[in-house]
Amino acid sequence: MLTRRGFVKVGGALFVSLGLPAGSRGSLEQTSLDPNQLTSWLEIRNDNSILVRTGRAEIGTGMSGFYAQVIAEELSVRPEAITLIMGDTDKTPDGGYSAGFLSGAANLRKVGAYTYQALLGLAAKQLGVPATALTVADAIVSGGGKSVSYGQLVQGLHLDLKIPVTGKSAKFATAGANGVAGLDWEGMDGLIVAGDPPMKPVSQYKVVGTSFPVPGIPDKVSGKTHWSCDVRLPGMLHARMVRPATLGSTLISVGEVDKKRFPAAEVVRKGNLLAVVSPNEWEAIRAAQAVAAATKWTAWSGLPGSENLTKTLREYKWGAPDQSRGNAADVTAALTNAPKTISVSYEQPYVKHAPIGPFLAVADVRSDETVIVWTHSAHSQALRARIANMLGTRVEKVVVRWLEHAGQFGRTTFGGDGAEADAAILSQLTGKPVRVQWTLQDDLAWSATSPGWVSDIKAGFDTHGRLTALHSVFYSPHMLDARPLGAILAGMPAGTTKPGGFLATEWPYDKIENRLEQVYATPNIGTQPGAESPTGGLRGLIMRTPGQRQQNFALESLINEAAAATHADPIQFRLRHTTDTRLIDILNATAKAAGWETRPSPHPNARRSGSDAMSGRGVCIMVRAGSYWVGIAEVAVTPATGVVQVTKFTIGVECGKIINPRQLDRCMKGGLVMGLGEALKEEVTFDKEKVTSTDWSRYRILTMQEMPEIKVVQISRDDKGFGGGGEAPNALAPPAVAAAFFDATGVQPRRIPLTPAYVTTLLKG
Amino acid sequence: MASELTLTVNGAKQVVSVTPETPLLYVLRNDLKLTGPRFGCGLAQCGACAVLVDGQEVRSCIAPVSSAVGMRVTTIEGLPGVWAAQKGLSAADAANTLHPVQQAWIDEQVPQCGYCQSGMMIAAVQLLAKHPNPSVAEIKDAFTNTPPSPHLCRCGTYAAIIDAVQRAAKAMAA
Repeated sequence: MLTRRGFVKVGGALFVSLGLPAGSRGSLEQTSLDPNQLTSWLEIRNDNSILVRTGRAEIGTGMSGFYAQVIAEELSVRPEAITLIMGDTDKTPDGGYSAGFLSGAANLRKVGAYTYQALLGLAAKQLGVPATALTVADAIVSGGGKSVSYGQLVQGLHLDLKIPVTGKSAKFATAGANGVAGLDWEGMDGLIVAGDPPMKPVSQYKVVGTSFPVPGIPDKVSGKTHWSCDVRLPGMLHARMVRPATLGSTLISVGEVDKKRFPAAEVVRKGNLLAVVSPNEWEAIRAAQAVAAATKWTAWSGLPGSENLTKTLREYKWGAPDQSRGNAADVTAALTNAPKTISVSYEQPYVKHAPIGPFLAVADVRSDETVIVWTHSAHSQALRARIANMLGTRVEKVVVRWLEHAGQFGRTTFGGDGAEADAAILSQLTGKPVRVQWTLQDDLAWSATSPGWVSDIKAGFDTHGRLTALHSVFYSPHMLDARPLGAILAGMPAGTTKPGGFLATEWPYDKIENRLEQVYATPNIGTQPGAESPTGGLRGLIMRTPGQRQQNFALESLINEAAAATHADPIQFRLRHTTDTRLIDILNATAKAAGWETRPSPHPNARRSGSDAMSGRGVCIMVRAGSYWVGIAEVAVTPATGVVQVTKFTIGVECGKIINPRQLDRCMKGGLVMGLGEALKEEVTFDKEKVTSTDWSRYRILTMQEMPEIKVVQISRDDKGFGGGGEAPNALAPPAVAAAFFDATGVQPRRIPLTPAYVTTLLKG
Repeated sequence: MASELTLTVNGAKQVVSVTPETPLLYVLRNDLKLTGPRFGCGLAQCGACAVLVDGQEVRSCIAPVSSAVGMRVTTIEGLPGVWAAQKGLSAADAANTLHPVQQAWIDEQVPQCGYCQSGMMIAAVQLLAKHPNPSVAEIKDAFTNTPPSPHLCRCGTYAAIIDAVQRAAKAMAA
């Protein structure tokens, strides 16, 4: 594995370079690092500090800390010694999307493990001690009564360690794959470090499992972080977009800039992409408002209105399912023969990623056709491929530089749907660097959106009240339209989008013998033949815990209804339908922590009217990415007002080996807050023309006062590897809160959000 | 038309040439290169842009810069100076200190993405000036019901913020 090419004075650094297997050179065009040089994943400095490069980015979940922890573990160094360079297509080797630890850290762990072996080999030679007799702590290798630091080992040394790599960089594909508009599925993960280097056994972990502080936090707190919104370039113009009047309007005439009021402002237009630019940001804002008021757009009214979403989905002529899992014949037979069945439908609205910082980007399209884009996209390589395709230039001409910005919860996993296309087009047209800052209204009205769903579930029981068959059918607009809005509006290449529904549920109930799950997807709402929106209609996109969030709401609500239908305690009912000890253990631990009283729902005193608050409790579970969660909600429902208050929420999480207990606690509580917003408040509203929930008074997320007491129970397991622990608690809130509402009132909510208006209607029956 | 306005920001006099109705946020960020306050909504609905003006929280995205003339503007970059002055620290000590609210935000690992946290810390400083030892209910009330709007966090860091405010309260009382 280790080849030494000789000793060269290179400032005392050990470079671990990117080596590509023969025959894969084509993929090099997607990365700016030249593998023939000692381009690096990792550099060890004389002072034992270590620089690590990854194409993944910090997306606000503490990932930069987790990466440092697992690399430090493999290298036997302190995590403080590690500095990360992230998400820059010029300076990082691998690409890939930043959606979580599991996919993001795999490369770095292996690179760390390969490097560790190389360093042991070097130390063995230098110390004259067999590698097997060496020990390492905090970058000091010891053996035979002697010791040497990593920094000393690599002093004056040029070590060429080849890292085997497979996979591909992100690549544009017009039709997309798996339904992802404009992106080849193959390059989603970027380059992948291959092979099987010896990894540190869990029993020897010193850093993983501790609450290592996230490295970027001190700078964020003191105001030193350089965010993507802070990029300022010489000669840069500020831009504000003037968006079409409706989701399907085209431009008739452009309002003029009043040069007396706005002397430096200019209108820039390409197709239906319209903006006002100025060197002065406030002038750009004011002039854009004036231009917008005087600009004329065609009329369009191709949306159904959010109040008609379910009806619209019901009326759609569905063909074959996009995905189907399970045995249709067995399920049909079991349901037919079951002595008792229940049939239930559930609904969920469109919801938004809704970052606190609206999207922005800076682009500099230079006269030599070099394009530099500053972004906070979670997939720099995919964004680069999209921008190159849109501008009709080679991918090597485009550099994407990632910087931190507001959490966006999956909106840029596929590298699209940001302000980067707007910025690149405007920079190309003006010949200057352009900073595009979307307004909150732009972001809430025009960004891609996690679509609404309807689900039909039929369940069959045996004579003992056990579930014997379950048939789940999910319908929704698809959620893989990651085309950049700017490209669509400007009429530039953005790829096409086609429906692609996917089954996301990981099945926890192995004792339910017969199951069939089917998922169907429509094109975007607002693109029906005859009224097709030229701007893509309501573009659907994934959001935190995608697919499973929606499917688990339906599945777990059904399980709660099934427990109630058989007068069973909902936790006992679940325990009877699984043999998975990981699930059983976390269910029992969470129930204990929550003080769960074993009894069926609803509560004997449940009431659907009156002005006193009724209390109730409910449970749900989820299995995803090698992890298990349990959510137990306690609510107070006031029937007379329809107000639902979540008073306490207990989360149980078992995600294999826990990397950072404090950050896991933070991710659980934060995710739950987001999910409670979905359960109680969040809904994208739209009329026949446009989205109408375009500020925080109309797209309402949870406030601090609405946050319940939250308790988190963690189980760490040394024998199950790492799971994806942080993402999913948002999906725990809706089914648990709905179940608690049922416990309090005896009425099962089958849609969210549980707003006072909906609750009042629901309780009136 | 641009006018010359004199501001006191983080203890230093600053002269800027801007139109008087320009919101303070853009002057701080673009003219004075103070990037702590951030653009969130432009509508005073979220709190990401919050700064202190004479010790009172102001949403700088809608407050005209002219409204801050003659008053003391503080951003998170200036919080260490506020604390140093409060405690009478030497210039050398002041340069190496953080406001206890900032230190608590680090110790409690409050930020997830961190975008809203500048405004959250400003709100915390104002709250602790009025209520040196706030209860959980008082913290929730302050961050939710203080006009003009709740301070919003999409990452859902509210629980961590409560922990950090209480930690900062202890540190400031010590």
